[in-house]
Amino acid sequence: MPGTSRKRVLSPALGLLAAALLLTSSGCGDLSNDELNRGVESLSALAAQGQLVANGVARDATKTTYARAMARTLGEESEHEAEKLADATLEEPETEDQRHAAVAVAGEISGLLSELQTFPGDERHGELVEKHLAEAQEKADAIVAQLSGDAP
Amino acid sequence: MKTILKIALGIIAAIGGFLDIGDLVFNTQAGALFRYDLLWAVMLGTIGIAVYAEMSGRVAAVSGRPVFDVIRMRMGFGLGLLALIASTAVNLLTVAAELGGIAIVLELLLDAPYSMFVVTAAAALVLIVALLPFGGIERLFGYGGLVLFVVIATVFHQDPDWGAVAHGFVPSLDSSTLYLYFVVGVFAAALMPYEVHFYSSGAIEEGWTEENLKENRLNAILGYGIGGVLSVGLVIVSGYLFHPIGVEPSDLGTVALPMQGAFGETGLLLALGGILFCVGGAAIDSSFAASYNLAQFLGWEWGRYQGPRKAPRFTASWLVFLLLGIAIAQSGINPVEITEYSVVFSVVALPLTYLPVLLIAGDRSFMSEYANGRIATFLGWLYFAVIVVLALAAIPLLLATNGGGG
Repeated sequence: MPGTSRKRVLSPALGLLAAALLLTSSGCGDLSNDELNRGVESLSALAAQGQLVANGVARDATKTTYARAMARTLGEESEHEAEKLADATLEEPETEDQRHAAVAVAGEISGLLSELQTFPGDERHGELVEKHLAEAQEKADAIVAQLSGDAP
Repeated sequence: MKTILKIALGIIAAIGGFLDIGDLVFNTQAGALFRYDLLWAVMLGTIGIAVYAEMSGRVAAVSGRPVFDVIRMRMGFGLGLLALIASTAVNLLTVAAELGGIAIVLELLLDAPYSMFVVTAAAALVLIVALLPFGGIERLFGYGGLVLFVVIATVFHQDPDWGAVAHGFVPSLDSSTLYLYFVVGVFAAALMPYEVHFYSSGAIEEGWTEENLKENRLNAILGYGIGGVLSVGLVIVSGYLFHPIGVEPSDLGTVALPMQGAFGETGLLLALGGILFCVGGAAIDSSFAASYNLAQFLGWEWGRYQGPRKAPRFTASWLVFLLLGIAIAQSGINPVEITEYSVVFSVVALPLTYLPVLLIAGDRSFMSEYANGRIATFLGWLYFAVIVVLALAAIPLLLATNGGGG
């Protein structure tokens, strides 16, 4: 599965609830600044989680099946987040640059996790992926800071 | 000596029935998002389940009536049916979530397709239930769940800021809806209705009488208490590792990361093994609870001790609930998401489950000298008031936070 089947797909009943939520909270498909912010924060969180998994690989302190399955799941979540960000219409067009940057970061995170999935037993790869995921997280955090007006 | 051993086994079994995928997910997320700030809610929920489990076990031992029998007797057919529908829906979602949880852990350990493991998990549960007696099933998952004590070892290995940890046990008010949503989630995860349904029916399965009341009290207090300690441990290890770096746990596998961080592959395997036994035990408990409720409400013969020949409709309904659980788990819904919804929706069913227990346990004409004393009455009504407030708040908070998504 989980690749495909563990995606956040809702059953019909839950789907109705989700549709109601989307209608009330997201302005019928438009992506508000807050939602864009939230999406980029999710990317930062995925990068952080990926670093922990990669750290286990780097220290030879994990099980390869676990590292591979976790990397796959996190990578898919990152791709899903990228699709959501890329497909949505921005409520505030001036945040277009941040959206593009966020989609690029999502792709970067997804690629790194894919590499971890391919080499879950290689300590050197684990070390590099951990380092690059930390950089990706910094980029995501910088976008969040720009969106919330905290950037220098 | 034999009595002490029996009590010890009961306590272990109670631990196995307490920690389920809801506790694992909500407590880990609570720690990641709010560090140690929600420890008080975990403690509150643990005391609540111990209070009501003790009452339901006492009622079962004294009257021979399990919880759903009491619900029908006290609330009548109409409200009883409402309680049955609500609790069955929640139990079914829980069965699906637990089966999905087993499949995720097997996938993490063996790296084979998830969908294959859902069916394998259900088949293994059927085999275990067919081969082992009721007490054996409880002990298998109780003992297995003990390896999750690696969480407590991880707490001491991390050596967190103990002052901050202690401060977390003091209830704090935070006006954010996400915080309030997690208060409801952590509390509800500890008080899932299937736990008392299973506990009281288990008392009948094991033939408890008034002579088992001391055992009942110790099981409820120590068993759920130790389960609560593990829940507290999950919040602490998550708060220590995940909170500072902004991890938002969205997968069951993430729960094991702090133990990997502390003890490497050994810690990871112990954590995954403990999770496997906990969700496996909860899958059995919740699927049995669904069948117990249905059989007790409709007046069927019920009980694992009766076997399929003497209780055919009970056995068939258990298999049907398991099959429905497989169907939901296979439908592509993330088990963690099913868990979140089942836990929050369960809050709405809580008053219908716990009020009849409270009323019967306090009824002197029914329970004679075994009726609630002053402390049990006070705690019972206090918790009932909390349950009602949370039941009213649960759905609005679910909507306001986009299902905990912020």
